[in-house]
Amino acid sequence: MRNLLDFLFNFKHWFLFIFLEFICLTVLFNHDGYQKSVYFTTANEAVGSTYSLISSVTSYLNLSTENQSLEAKNEELRKQLYELQQQVYELKKDSNRHISGLAPKYNVVSAQVVGATTHKSNNLLTINKGSADGIKEEMGVVSSNGVVGIVYLTSSHYSIVIPIINTTSKISCKLRGTQNFGTLQWFKGRADVAYMTDVPRHSQVEKGEVVLTNGYSDIFPPGIPIGFVIEKGDSPDGMSYLLKVGLYTKFETIREVSVITNYNKPERKALESKADSLLNNIN
Amino acid sequence: MNNRIVLTVFKSIIILIVQVLICNNIHLLSYASPLIIGYLLITSDMKEDRITLLLYGFFIGLIYDMFSNTAGMAAAGMTLLAMTQPSLLKYMSPRETDDDVEPTIQTMGFWNYASYVFLAMMILHTVYYFLDAFMLANIQLTIFSSVLSALLATVLVLGIDMLTTTSKRN
Repeated sequence: MRNLLDFLFNFKHWFLFIFLEFICLTVLFNHDGYQKSVYFTTANEAVGSTYSLISSVTSYLNLSTENQSLEAKNEELRKQLYELQQQVYELKKDSNRHISGLAPKYNVVSAQVVGATTHKSNNLLTINKGSADGIKEEMGVVSSNGVVGIVYLTSSHYSIVIPIINTTSKISCKLRGTQNFGTLQWFKGRADVAYMTDVPRHSQVEKGEVVLTNGYSDIFPPGIPIGFVIEKGDSPDGMSYLLKVGLYTKFETIREVSVITNYNKPERKALESKADSLLNNIN
Repeated sequence: MNNRIVLTVFKSIIILIVQVLICNNIHLLSYASPLIIGYLLITSDMKEDRITLLLYGFFIGLIYDMFSNTAGMAAAGMTLLAMTQPSLLKYMSPRETDDDVEPTIQTMGFWNYASYVFLAMMILHTVYYFLDAFMLANIQLTIFSSVLSALLATVLVLGIDMLTTTSKRN
């Protein structure tokens, strides 16, 4: 008897080993098919809560992908918005025209700002899309907040944009609800303030009125928000108003932008240059 | 003694976190996923107490199984590894070393240690992948997965070891 006990005691780890392996296999083969017990799975309360804790942390790591998909969605919505705005614009202009087929379709290419300056007098933005993505010079760049600037130079995969906050930037604009147009310019200093010049004296200007693109240039479609009037002042020559405009686009933090790729139509360009050359000939 | 228990628990938690969060997301060539939880048994020096070692391996395996929905597979592999680890260590150690030496690169020499780790990892991964496949229909693929995963796990373990020993030296 004692020998037997000794034998059992000496080989106790073998018995434990067989017992544990038996448990493993039992759990494994009961687990197959219909799961009889959730204790050994991630459905178990403790494991589940650990995983949700982990995912609450790791979800931050996926923010950039999430952001990109949201931006893509935004781009889609923005495209629809421009189309609708254009339709409204056309309908207001001439109520006899039928809505369909009038609104041009705008294509936008989304890009990320990879380099920017905001404190120089000739600030520039670099975006990560170029001629390979269909971007050409003089195309309009917008963000989800409003106008950003105009494409200045393109390489195959990058482009340089002259933002509103560049002293050479001039963007044709108007006040919402009126036909009073002017030119948006920037005179150094704060990156969130620009000035609308050449606003006729007879126009009614309210503080807080929204400044939009007017569609006279061939760069931006009409109706894209730029900023809002902060202050009404006089131009240096006293002939017109000089409006201080708070910009919607935050240039310090800007990252996702869209380039409008098919607004400037070659037909319009050709017609305008023909008119120019005719005028030159007359002169 | 208490210190050793705290250290073991701490090490187990860290390795389990690394396993679940990082290694479970590695799918080399879509065949190999390393089980670095084997590291806990490989470096353990509990050979005087085989019962504790068996229970330790079993529970680490079971906790891993809970996190990866592989009920019993890793636990079976870890239990077998816990059973064989002392003899494997004895067999692989250089003859002149003492019996109660802790298995590290320093005590065993690089190649002895590396082959010891690889053999241990082979035991763990073979059990794991064969239980995973269960049917022997696709035996080449199962063997390939086991060997590739064991190799990957060995490389990772050697990496961890080198990292921890250099930080200790510093």
